[in-house]
Amino acid sequence: MRNIIVNGEKRAVEATTLDALLSLLDYKGSWIATAVNGEIVRRAERNAYALADGDRVEILSPMQGG
Amino acid sequence: MHALVRGAGVAGLTVAFELRRHGHAVEIVDRAGYVGAGASGLAGGMLAPFCEGESAPESVTRLGRAAAEWWEAALPGHVGRNGTLVVAPPRDTGELKRFATRTTCHEWLDEDGIAVLEPALAGRFRTALFFRDEAHLDPRAALGALKEWLADDGVRFRFDASSPGTDFDAVFDCTGSAAIGTVPGLRGLRGEMLYLETEEIALSRPVRLLHPRHPLYVVPRGGNRFMVGATMLEANVGGPISARSLMELLNAAYALHPAFGEARVIETGAGVRPAFDDNVPRVLRIGNAIHVNGFYRHGFLLAPAMAREAVSLLERVPA
Amino acid sequence: MLDLYGVEITSRLFLGTARYPSPKILADAVRTSRTEIVTVSLRRETAGGKAGGSFLDLIAALGVRILPNTAGCHSVREAVTTAQMAREIFQTNWVKLEVIGHHDTLQPDVFALVEAARILSEDGFEVFPYTTDDLVVAERLVEAGCKVLMPWCAPIGSAMGPVNLPALRAMRAHFAEIPLIVDAGLGRPSHAAAVMELGYEAVLLNTAVANASDPVTMAGAFADAIEAGRAGFKAGLLEPRDMAVSSTPVIGKAVFS
Repeated sequence: MRNIIVNGEKRAVEATTLDALLSLLDYKGSWIATAVNGEIVRRAERNAYALADGDRVEILSPMQGG
Repeated sequence: MHALVRGAGVAGLTVAFELRRHGHAVEIVDRAGYVGAGASGLAGGMLAPFCEGESAPESVTRLGRAAAEWWEAALPGHVGRNGTLVVAPPRDTGELKRFATRTTCHEWLDEDGIAVLEPALAGRFRTALFFRDEAHLDPRAALGALKEWLADDGVRFRFDASSPGTDFDAVFDCTGSAAIGTVPGLRGLRGEMLYLETEEIALSRPVRLLHPRHPLYVVPRGGNRFMVGATMLEANVGGPISARSLMELLNAAYALHPAFGEARVIETGAGVRPAFDDNVPRVLRIGNAIHVNGFYRHGFLLAPAMAREAVSLLERVPA
Repeated sequence: MLDLYGVEITSRLFLGTARYPSPKILADAVRTSRTEIVTVSLRRETAGGKAGGSFLDLIAALGVRILPNTAGCHSVREAVTTAQMAREIFQTNWVKLEVIGHHDTLQPDVFALVEAARILSEDGFEVFPYTTDDLVVAERLVEAGCKVLMPWCAPIGSAMGPVNLPALRAMRAHFAEIPLIVDAGLGRPSHAAAVMELGYEAVLLNTAVANASDPVTMAGAFADAIEAGRAGFKAGLLEPRDMAVSSTPVIGKAVFS
């Protein structure tokens, strides 16, 4: 179990990597970017990125301005 | 027939109303604890088939023309029939001319004409467009009243996500943005709005303030309250209003009348509008259910017409 | 053929994707325009969106190259962060860099623009900067690493068309080797043709098409005008003269004075 903050909300999750977290939270589809503790984590690195307790994860998706 | 309606927003409740008119038994289920929990509760409530015609296809104007009468007949006293006033900041008068060429059933007003309709706006705009035949209602009040009417008429409401467990002859899916991801081609558009409260200004009708990038409308709700809306962002995202959007809406309200600068912000909200790629709603049979979805920003305007179409689909080809 | 950061492009019309009446009309306009590049603007919001028939899926299905746009960014930091997010989301190093100095007139903040261009170029981005017609600013952008320039011809969305032709001519002469793409301010197909006749490589449009009564037909009209302007430029345009020149020879006529 990891205690992390996702988009400002505290969560306890089973996922150990960033990629696993995205699957767990059902962020399927490609139009997202991820940042952990303020640094962008590139798509290719998500699989290897190990989450630690207290990590602040941001899942960013684009909004097209109307 | 015994029909199940999923979704207690404007789509579900109007479908239920039409089903009752045709003598069918109806049960409504919604995962939220109250009606209008989705986009319907955040709607402007403008019944504006002509103003919307500026960017919507002709079918929207045609199908929406009868909306005011439908709502008036279903919920007497709920519909304000004072038209829509459309104005633009002095620098953007070109926007008003452009709006006029793209729409019908309007008349030009000068300063005196504006002052007669809305004394609060006297002297603030040299010219305006008036859409005399348009109307408006309070979405939350209307949905609440519609729910009461249906309940009194024997419709059972179940406010939980579990399956009812009884067999139905027909299922109508009116779940709005909850169906994004399952109904093909349905996408979400985020919208943000707010409520202002002030005794300093009174309006009798919705006012649209044109702007090349941030057009907005102010709808009087009575009791010194005004709904100000709305942003339109291509994203299926809920969550609180952003600071930038809040600023855009407040700045535009202030541009309409400075009294809004001192108004109290009593509510802010954001939701997701469901829409198909042409921004026109559809009635679709998918599997065992008849789906009524994709209302974009035309929920109260087009729900009556779509509800009629959905019920007639049922009666032509029973499930 | 136009070469932009090593990519060969045939169509000299690029289209912005904001504020069309519906995604369907946008898709039809893109197809009719024959464009190969569309810009998509992003807002950096910290909120994950669920998938499903989204606007971006619709754009991706058009099979055109996406040029992300830092529209609405007012600072270096905002523009850089948005560009980084866009690179992640669209998996491209291309970025159309806009840093706006005035939220009402949407004029570029040229100082922040140059700084952001430098930071992004050093980070491997291929920058398409939206800039003014100031030659010094353009020089600094090239020094910062930009291999393409996108000067305005009038304020965004104004539909005025090229308001300062001498400035556009000067830029063309000054940057003979760099692809120049006019961005912002066009309103009519004839504006686009005029800009292409100056020898500009391409044109980027959004409002002129999206806000037309019939965006699909307008997209086709602009495409035709841009091809005509480019062909005219390549064919060798006549320079204006003060006096008439008869196209029929005078010698050999029965009567001459």
